[in-house]
Amino acid sequence: MLINPDLAAFMTSPVMIILGTRDDALVPEIARAVGAIVRPEQGCVDLIASEWQWPKTVANIRANGRLSVTFARPSDYVSYQVKGHAAVTPASAEHVALAAQYMDRMAAALADLGLEKRITAPWLVDRDPVTLRLAVQEVFVQTPGAKAGQLIERDQ
Amino acid sequence: MTIQLQDLAACFEGVIPSIIATAAPDGMPNISYLSHVVLVDDERVALSNQFFSKTAANVRANPVAAVLIVTPRDGAQYQLDVTFDQSLDSGDLFDDMAVHLRATSTQMGMGGIMRLRGVDIYRVRAVRAVPSPATAVAEPSPAASLPLAAVAAATRRISEAVEVSSIVDAVLDGLHKFSHAMLLLKDPTCQRLVTIGSRGYGRSGIGSEVPVGEGVIGTAASERRPVRVSDMSRLRRFGSAVQASSSDENRTRTIALPGIPDAMSQVALPMVVHGVLRGVLFLESSKRLAFTKEDEAGLAIVAAHAAAALALAESEAGEGQPVMQPAQNNLVTRGQPFRVVHYAYDDSVFIDNEYLIKGVPGRLLTHLLRIHLREGRTEFTNREIRLSDELRLPDIKDNLETRLLLLRRRLEEKAAPVQLLRIGRGRVRLELTAPAILEEAAN
Repeated sequence: MLINPDLAAFMTSPVMIILGTRDDALVPEIARAVGAIVRPEQGCVDLIASEWQWPKTVANIRANGRLSVTFARPSDYVSYQVKGHAAVTPASAEHVALAAQYMDRMAAALADLGLEKRITAPWLVDRDPVTLRLAVQEVFVQTPGAKAGQLIERDQ
Repeated sequence: MTIQLQDLAACFEGVIPSIIATAAPDGMPNISYLSHVVLVDDERVALSNQFFSKTAANVRANPVAAVLIVTPRDGAQYQLDVTFDQSLDSGDLFDDMAVHLRATSTQMGMGGIMRLRGVDIYRVRAVRAVPSPATAVAEPSPAASLPLAAVAAATRRISEAVEVSSIVDAVLDGLHKFSHAMLLLKDPTCQRLVTIGSRGYGRSGIGSEVPVGEGVIGTAASERRPVRVSDMSRLRRFGSAVQASSSDENRTRTIALPGIPDAMSQVALPMVVHGVLRGVLFLESSKRLAFTKEDEAGLAIVAAHAAAALALAESEAGEGQPVMQPAQNNLVTRGQPFRVVHYAYDDSVFIDNEYLIKGVPGRLLTHLLRIHLREGRTEFTNREIRLSDELRLPDIKDNLETRLLLLRRRLEEKAAPVQLLRIGRGRVRLELTAPAILEEAAN
């Protein structure tokens, strides 16, 4: 599925990235990612996450591939959720560099909102990074309000 | 080490958004931010349900979910493994959450959108600390700023006070641990609250008004429930001008509510006695999380006690003995005369072109000055004020003391050439530093 350029730009800006997975008994698990690279023409998003911090999430994706990701801008709550199938691969050097850059930009954006780096540090961790390559199948608006949860695109 | 939900109380203050993950029966997960998670007891949490409809649908089909909460002081994260229990659309918990949502959403200009549909109760199966290179230990919640002993001391102070003015002071002085506080009393003739005393602000704001139902203060009044906000950074400041000058007052005939421009935490407690709302006690701070849930409970006790004391003081204020003033004329004749202008249509009063006050207190001052100019008298009893045909006082017999106090404090604050003194039970005296010229203006 094609990812439109506006959405791609949003996903790679300093937005909080949260991950939802589930195990084989449908028990959900939460994690955070530290950076995204969008490949619009392939309908793919690469997300970098710390396997050290979020081992169960990575294990869930290895087991069943189901992944939902919400991108949320802390300053105005604009949010999108994408859903699809993901695979776990080792993080490349490019991904590791991107994660470092994302963590800096995100920490600065949160600091602008009055959240000191001391507080946001536990949310921005890249120890033992892995790449989650997500093939996007659905895109939803998630911004609070009347349109929350509305499907805006689905893979045919 | 097992982490108890109670140890994580600070995570439920609504400062750092929480997250919920659910899974649909077809296996697709859903991940969403939550506006509000409330700690119900040792085993349960409550989530407000406004618009995360996919979450609501998922847990009704597959009740297991995960909630991520964050400690605002150090950013430490905890995942709660939860199971959906039931949905409530009424009851105390629902009302508390609905009031909070309404108070905060009207400030964001989202009053209509942020309507609480229901409160979903979840049972917590396990609490897991998320690993972090920075912190790994749960920080216990800090001790309440207002321990029970301080509540007892504040209420004792209030109990010792005998009249409206000293009760208002006792309430505010008893809360000296907090930087900014104000006490507003409900005007029984309309849907407004009027500031009668404050502490910690650059200007007192005595006489400023808040409509019932508006913002944190007005919502506490209309709902008769405490409203507490721990992080105002994303909310617009209520009221308009924080730093209004007196030239604005002269133009608008309105006194601006005092406030701190960078308020981060606010709490408003309704003052109710005999089922009647008497006013609101309000505190704010430029710190995040300045008021804990325990503070709110302690302040609610102080507010209720103050309401009872104020009601009693009004009803026992007495009518005053007939004025035994010597027959001599006390009319002030020395000094540079000052001009008092009364506008009948809203009873606003200006002294030497400076706005003083409007409404019943404005009418009271005009009345007392008129008698003074006519009879040379400076002492008056509550009884004669109440019975005066000229005054057209509203038929509210237990509110005269409060209105006189409001007038007295406003005259003090403006350092007016006429001051009002309470000289005993049910008696007041005008003190003029110069002769007054009273004028009636048409509009």
